[in-house]
Amino acid sequence: MRNKLLVSGSPHIHKNESVPRIMWTVVLSTIPAGIAGVIIFGLSALWVILLAVIAAVATEAVFEVWTKNKITVMDGSAVITGILLAYNLPPNVPLWLPIAGSVFSIAIGKQVFGGLGQNIFNPALVGRVFLMASWPKYMTSFARPFSYDAVTSATPLAALKEGKVLEHLSYLDLFLGKRGGCIGEVCILALLIGAAVLLYKGYISWHIPASYILTTAVFMYIFGAKQLFHGDWLFHVLNGGLILGAFFMATDYVATPLTIKGQLIFGVGCGLLTAIIRIWGGYPEGVSYAILMMNAATPFIDRYTKNRIYGTK
Amino acid sequence: MKSLIKEFTKGIIKENPTFVLALGLCPTLAVSVSVANGIGMGVAATFVLLGSSVIISLVKNFIPNKIRIPCFIVIIATFVTIIELCLKAYSPVLDRALGIYVPLIVVNCIVLGRAEAFACKNNLLSSFLDGLGMGIGFTLALILISAIREFLGSGQILGHTLIKGFEPVFVFGMPSGALLVIGLLLGFFNLLRNRKT
Amino acid sequence: MNVQAFLSIFISSVFIYNVILSRFLGLCPFVAISKNTKQAFAMSAAVTFVITAASAVTWLIYRFLLLPFNLAYLRTLSFVLVIAALVQLIEMVIRKTSPVLYRAFGIYLTLITTNCAVLGAAVLNIDMFFVNGKAVAGSFYYSVFQGFCMGLGYTLAMLIMSGIRERLELCNVPKALKDFPLAFIIASVLSLSFMGFNGFKF
Repeated sequence: MRNKLLVSGSPHIHKNESVPRIMWTVVLSTIPAGIAGVIIFGLSALWVILLAVIAAVATEAVFEVWTKNKITVMDGSAVITGILLAYNLPPNVPLWLPIAGSVFSIAIGKQVFGGLGQNIFNPALVGRVFLMASWPKYMTSFARPFSYDAVTSATPLAALKEGKVLEHLSYLDLFLGKRGGCIGEVCILALLIGAAVLLYKGYISWHIPASYILTTAVFMYIFGAKQLFHGDWLFHVLNGGLILGAFFMATDYVATPLTIKGQLIFGVGCGLLTAIIRIWGGYPEGVSYAILMMNAATPFIDRYTKNRIYGTK
Repeated sequence: MKSLIKEFTKGIIKENPTFVLALGLCPTLAVSVSVANGIGMGVAATFVLLGSSVIISLVKNFIPNKIRIPCFIVIIATFVTIIELCLKAYSPVLDRALGIYVPLIVVNCIVLGRAEAFACKNNLLSSFLDGLGMGIGFTLALILISAIREFLGSGQILGHTLIKGFEPVFVFGMPSGALLVIGLLLGFFNLLRNRKT
Repeated sequence: MNVQAFLSIFISSVFIYNVILSRFLGLCPFVAISKNTKQAFAMSAAVTFVITAASAVTWLIYRFLLLPFNLAYLRTLSFVLVIAALVQLIEMVIRKTSPVLYRAFGIYLTLITTNCAVLGAAVLNIDMFFVNGKAVAGSFYYSVFQGFCMGLGYTLAMLIMSGIRERLELCNVPKALKDFPLAFIIASVLSLSFMGFNGFKF
C-alpha cells in the first residue's frame, strides 16, 4: 500500500513485456508447425528438433561461460534458433547434422557478434546455408510424407527444377503439408496459426511477410512459366520455405530494418531474390539465401530510410 | 651474429607475415585448398622474396630514391616471371592449381613490403636472412591453413585419409571456408597474445 | 557477341566469382578501409574506374604488342608497369582537371597501384578471352565489360561490408575477434549467402 502512494519517475504505465516473454511466445507459436512436421514425417523429425534445440542452448551456454558474459540461455532466443534451424532440415538427416548446424548457428551466426541483439544475420539461416554447402547430400534428400521410413522423394520445387514430371498434388494437399520438404515448412496451415498468434500479439508486423510473399507471387506469376503472365504463383507460395521464412525468419528483430519503409524494401528485396533464384538459380529454393542477402543489406537500408528527426530538414 | 639469427627468426613467429602483419592474404586464402598447393605457393613466394631481397640490397645504392618503387616492381616481376616459366615447364599440374595467383605474387604486399621496409636499408646477408625467414613464415602459415582446410574439407591430408568415417565438411574447400578459417585463426592468435600481456 | 554472354559475365563476376568474396583479390583495402561507408565508396569507385581502364589497356598491349612479337612471357612484368603508369596518369589528370574529385578519391588511387584486383582482372581477362594465343570473337568488349563488372562486385562487397561494420561499432564483440578477424568471418557468411546464385542459368 505504501509503495502505491509514492510517485516514481516516468514512465508510469508499464506493459508487462520483456525479451524472455516475447521469445517464449515465439517458441510457442512455432510449435503447431513442429507437431505437424512430426505427424507428417514421424518420430525422426522430433529427434532432429530436440537435438537442434539442445545443441543450440548448450553452445550458447558454453560461449557465455567462456566469454564471462551474462548467462542468457533462459531467454529462449537460442531455443528459437534451434527450432528454426531444425524446421529448415529434411526429417531424415543423420542425427549429428542438426547438432553441427546448431553449433555453427550460435557460434558463427550469433556469439561472434556479441550475442543476443547484435547479430547481423539470422543465426538459424547461417546454420542452414553452412549445412547446405557442407553436406549437400543429406540436405537435399527428403523423406516421403506419411511413409515413416527411408523412402525419399524430391520436393515439388526440386522436381520442377530438374524438369521431372510432378506427381499431382492439389493445392489443399500443399496447404496441409502432404509433400516432401523440410520439417517445419510443409504444413502451411500450422505455420499460419503460429503467425496469427504473433501478429495478434503485435510481436511481428505484417509489412515484411506481406511484401515478401506478395513480391514472390507477382514475380512468379509474370516470369514463372515459359509464357509471360502464366506462372503458377499459388504453387510457388505454398511450396518451399516461403511461408516459414516470411513469417518466422525474415521478421527477426535484430537483422531487419527498423522503419516501416525499410521493412517494405526488405520484404520486396527478399521476394525478388527468392523468385530469381527459384527461376534461374542452380538451387530449387532460394528463401534462406534471399533473407541472408537482405540481412547483409539491412544496415544500408536503415541508413537511407531513417526517420526524419522532428524539426530538421 | 645474434642479430642475424633474429633477422631470420622474426619472420617465422614474432612478425609472421600472415598472422601478425596480416599481409599477402589473397594467395593465402585462394590456394590453401590443399597442403600440396600451399607448399607450392609458399615455395614460389619464398623464391621471389629471397631473389628480390638479395638483388635489391645489392643495387640499393644505385637506385634514385624517387623511382625506387617502380624499380623494385621490375625486379620482383622478373623473379615472378622466372618462377612462372619454371612452374609451366616442370609442374603443369601445380601451375594449373595455382592459376592466376602465381603472376599475382608481384603485387603480394609481403614481397614489396620487405623490399621497401628492409632490403633497401640493410646489407646483403641480413636481407637474405630476412627474406628467407619471412618466406618460411609465410610457407608455414600456408601449410597450417591448408592443412586445416584440406583435412576438414576432404578428410585427407596430402591425399592420405586420416580418420575413417569422417564426413568431409565441403564448405572448407570453398571460398567461404577459407575466409572463416583465416578469421578464426587470426582471432585465436589475438587470444594468445592477449593472454600473454 | 550477344546479350546472354554479357549477362552471364555480369552475374558471375558480381555475385558468383565476386572479386573479394570468392577470388580474394583486393583483400587488404577491403579489411582496412571498409570501416566507413564514405571512404569505402570512394575507394570502390576508384578501383572500378582503374580496373575498367586497365582491362582495356592491358588487352590492347597483349594483343598488339606482346602476341605479335612472341613476348607473351613478359605478360606479368609489362602489365604491372602499365598499370602503375596508368594509375599515375589518371591521378595526374584528375588532379589537374577536378580538384574536388581528387580530394574525394585521390589518395586511394596511389594505393591501387599494387592492388591485386587490378592485375588479377587483367590476367583473368587474358586467360579467359584468349584461346591458344588468339583473341576470341568480341574479346575486347568482353574484357572491358568483365573488368567493369569485377569493379561492381568489388563495390558491392565493400559497401555491404562497410554498412555492417559501422553497425558493429556499437556491438559487444569479443575482444579477440575485433576488427580483422570479425571482418573475415562476416565475409565468410556473405560468401555463403552469395552461393545462392550458384549455377545461374538463363
